[in-house]
Amino acid sequence: MTQTVIWTIAILVMLGVVLAVVLYIVAEKFKVEEDPRIDEVEKVLPGANCGGCGQAGCRAFAQFCVESEDMDKCFCPVGGNDVMQKVASVLGREVAEKAPMVAVVRCNGSCENRPKINEYGGHQSCRVKAALYSGDTACAYGCLGCGDCVAVCQFGAISMDPQTGLPVVDEEKCTACGACVKACPKNVIELRNKGRRNMRVFVSCVNKDKGAAARKACKAACIGCSKCAKVCPFDAITVENNLAYIDYTKCRLCKKCVAECPTGAIHAVNFPVIKPKPAAPAPAEAPKPAAPAEVEKPVTKEE
Amino acid sequence: MLKTFSIGGIHPSDKKISKDCKIEVLPVPSKVYISVAQHLGAPATPIVKAGDKVKAGQVIAEPAGFISAYVHSSVSGTVKAVAPRKDLAGNNVMHIEIDVEGDEWAEGIDLSEDIVTDIPEDNKVILEKIKLNGVVGLGGATFPAHVKLCPPPGKTADCLILNGAECEPYLTSDNRIMLERSKEIVIGAAIMKQVLGGCPAVIGIEENKPEAIAAMKAAVAELQASAKGYDGISVMPLKKKYPQGGEKQLIDAVMKRQVKSMGLPIDVGAVVQNVATSLAVYEAVQKNMPLITNVLTVTGDCVPMEKQHNYKFRIGMPLSYIAEYAGGVPEEAAKIISGGPMMGKAIANLDATTVKGSSSLLYLTAEQTVRGVESACIRCGKCAEACPMGLEPFLLQKYARNNMMEELEDNAVQDCIECGCCLYSCPANIPLLDIIRIAKGDVIRIIRGRGQK
Amino acid sequence: MDKLIVSPSPHLHTKTSTKSLMRDVVIALLPAVVVSVLFYGWSELLVLGVSVASCVLLEYLITRFLLKGKCTIGDWSAVITGVLLALNLPATTPWWVVFIGAVVAIGVAKMTFGGLGQNLFNPAIAGRVFLLISFPTYMTDWTKPAGFIGNALADGYTGATLLGIAKEGGVKALEGMDYLQTLFYNIGGSAGELSAIALLIGFVYLLARRVIRPYITLSIWATVAIFSGIFWLINPEVYTDPVFNLLTGGLMLGSIFMATDYVTSPMSNWGGVIFGVGIGLITMLIRYFGAYPEGVSFAILIMNSVVPLINKVCHTKKYGR
Repeated sequence: MTQTVIWTIAILVMLGVVLAVVLYIVAEKFKVEEDPRIDEVEKVLPGANCGGCGQAGCRAFAQFCVESEDMDKCFCPVGGNDVMQKVASVLGREVAEKAPMVAVVRCNGSCENRPKINEYGGHQSCRVKAALYSGDTACAYGCLGCGDCVAVCQFGAISMDPQTGLPVVDEEKCTACGACVKACPKNVIELRNKGRRNMRVFVSCVNKDKGAAARKACKAACIGCSKCAKVCPFDAITVENNLAYIDYTKCRLCKKCVAECPTGAIHAVNFPVIKPKPAAPAPAEAPKPAAPAEVEKPVTKEE
Repeated sequence: MLKTFSIGGIHPSDKKISKDCKIEVLPVPSKVYISVAQHLGAPATPIVKAGDKVKAGQVIAEPAGFISAYVHSSVSGTVKAVAPRKDLAGNNVMHIEIDVEGDEWAEGIDLSEDIVTDIPEDNKVILEKIKLNGVVGLGGATFPAHVKLCPPPGKTADCLILNGAECEPYLTSDNRIMLERSKEIVIGAAIMKQVLGGCPAVIGIEENKPEAIAAMKAAVAELQASAKGYDGISVMPLKKKYPQGGEKQLIDAVMKRQVKSMGLPIDVGAVVQNVATSLAVYEAVQKNMPLITNVLTVTGDCVPMEKQHNYKFRIGMPLSYIAEYAGGVPEEAAKIISGGPMMGKAIANLDATTVKGSSSLLYLTAEQTVRGVESACIRCGKCAEACPMGLEPFLLQKYARNNMMEELEDNAVQDCIECGCCLYSCPANIPLLDIIRIAKGDVIRIIRGRGQK
Repeated sequence: MDKLIVSPSPHLHTKTSTKSLMRDVVIALLPAVVVSVLFYGWSELLVLGVSVASCVLLEYLITRFLLKGKCTIGDWSAVITGVLLALNLPATTPWWVVFIGAVVAIGVAKMTFGGLGQNLFNPAIAGRVFLLISFPTYMTDWTKPAGFIGNALADGYTGATLLGIAKEGGVKALEGMDYLQTLFYNIGGSAGELSAIALLIGFVYLLARRVIRPYITLSIWATVAIFSGIFWLINPEVYTDPVFNLLTGGLMLGSIFMATDYVTSPMSNWGGVIFGVGIGLITMLIRYFGAYPEGVSFAILIMNSVVPLINKVCHTKKYGR
């Protein structure tokens, strides 16, 4: 009896020792030399592995940071400036602050603005739909509404508004990782700077058709009339291919273009709603730009 | 025992409602819009501008690359505009708008009904004519015909296969031309066979078209008896099974050879052309007639017999005009398809115009075409059983949904021919092909990108 | 025509649906159900009723309240599980034992894996095996309750299955028994094992309707026949003969209806053959050398667990490769 116990223990101990030696040898033999700073950098990263930085994951990004000379090229959109400060301190480098960004859906083609002209009957995926045809409205550029951006967002920051059929970005949750931008086959979503107190002005349309066709397809389409470009005091607006674009680095949020736009395609969001009196002189246009602001405002508050 | 392909296949409905409707010639409308992207490859470059007078058969757009084709005016009149217009998928494509005036034809075109049986001896002349007259494959892919008829150096054609299978339900245009233009098709085959170096030519026709088989056999026999250069052409009845008319399936059925993954038919010595292409080759070479007409079927279960038609149309006619002329869009139609019900494209915009490859206006009812609600995969394996390429769609869709590119490539997603057998046979209504088609594109792009490095 | 529908090709779709496939299986089971009810009478009706009702009800409750998802009882798969479970039990099984079997089948074997299409083991077999191990007395009580017809056939019936007799007393104990009659009726055993002919009618129906492919079933039969044939030829004194092994016990029911379950069998034809050979071998090993007289349900369960591996190895023949 005792002998059995002793033997059992002896064999198990021997097995343990032999295997430990084997493991040690293997570990030594196949050891990969790595910069220890990679581990340190990885520790301060968010660990979401979203790929928003352009690397395969957080570890790859850490390696990239350690190896690259230029810190300007490295930016973790999820962690933002705070995390990049930490990364810089780990590496003993300086890093410039970057303006925080947010995903912006540039389409206002709700069911009301953009009537459907046919019914899509295939798999509910924007990629499948985009590969097949121009979409179920007369607008060949806007949101297809199947929610590929919602599916791809790892942070739960995008949801479909059942009323409009358009995606809505939760600014609190959005980390500007850019996954939705890549997922959208129509390039409707763009990363823009968050702006002072989250206030932003942007053209909520990507339709490149000529004015008449664009207008016919969607009430809220940019018709490329260039009125906004003319009124802009900062040269922030360019009109190309019948489509206006506001350069967010130049825009100073004066909202003159918002009042000028005949179709309400330019949206101003997160501005205080009641205060602005300068908009009063143009009563006909005022409600239109105000409307989207009201739509978006409660959403940001909600969560 | 009739020949057929060796893997998979399905038996969708066998309807050919309009098979006995003779080909009628559609009158020319007052305006046509001719697309410059009527073929696979680069869209042609317009060489006319607003205000130019054009004659029917005159070149109005030139090829913009090796794989591209000439486009000709189908009418005589004045060019009104060269501007983007929506095609049947609603995407903007450059179209040449022509106001029709009179019926003048460009010089050198033989408009007579006579059948010319003597084939020119110089292959270069033949190929040049095929190219200049804008002939493209009319089996669906609209691949420029002259490119396919010039095998790359080091490869020779062992067999020319003429595709008269018309395995898609409902379509009857190929059936009609095989009945009404049998001789011309055989002459076209003889021309292509000569260009390819005199290999045998086999005309494959599915067994459900016995009249067409008889007509083609008679035409071959008559030409072999009366003229030279028609030896080695034969008619082969094939089993009724979809996709018998798929290029790779047809090669398997006729030659018992299989094209390797990512390979071309010519790798196994095969050249496949549709019977309609053969007719176009005849017209181009023997009559100098550019490809500006084709035959299209107007059909569907909800279309009464007297409104079923096979029309000879000219390119650039609005589909809505044809629908109107044929008696209007039926009330019950929920979906209109250009092409067959298995591989054709659903029309999003009926104002789009006919192109070289248009083959039908097929009206399907909601009951026929609306997909059921997707439910869980029950692993019945019916998709794998049906796949004519021997793929496992249930597996591919799973990998595709998870973006597993390596696994997709290992399981040969790039070999998918998009025949639709998997989605057709899935009892759980899983959108297999929708998902696999996208994944196939991604994987092919990865493979091509690798080749370039 | 209000708005045209636009979708990717193909635009036609087969009329076969999950529901119609499952319904076909239920129809194929009908002959066996009818025969068992005729022979075993009210008690069999009770077993069937309790089994089907509790399977459907459990699936409804679980999908509706536990998973809070789409209710899936419309696809008939719970009905199949219910019928199969009932046919796998003796007609004398008390209703609460049947209910426990249903809980294991639907609640444990099916729903914990994620419902239809996800389960690793055949729910009905999992239920049966659970009961067989937990309530062996009820599960081997082969006394024949009064049926609507055929009561006279039970005269001289000893209250044991033929396989049980063979296990206990060897081949000698079977002497003088005309077991070819088991093709038509086979009193003693689970309700579904009653008539091989009724099950074969179902098999033909399933094949004709293209619901199942024959590879799995045929390979099970072939394996059982060859395996027992070899042993029988070596020593007919000890080992039972192939015909006996094919016709008795749950082999027909198992090979036609349980082993061919889509979800828990391999997808490819070759995979099906491997699967079938495995079931045949394990069944015969248990019958000849195991502690239990019958082994079909154990064999199917064991092979169910190998299916993912078989699917990994066996792929379809690809074009041009």
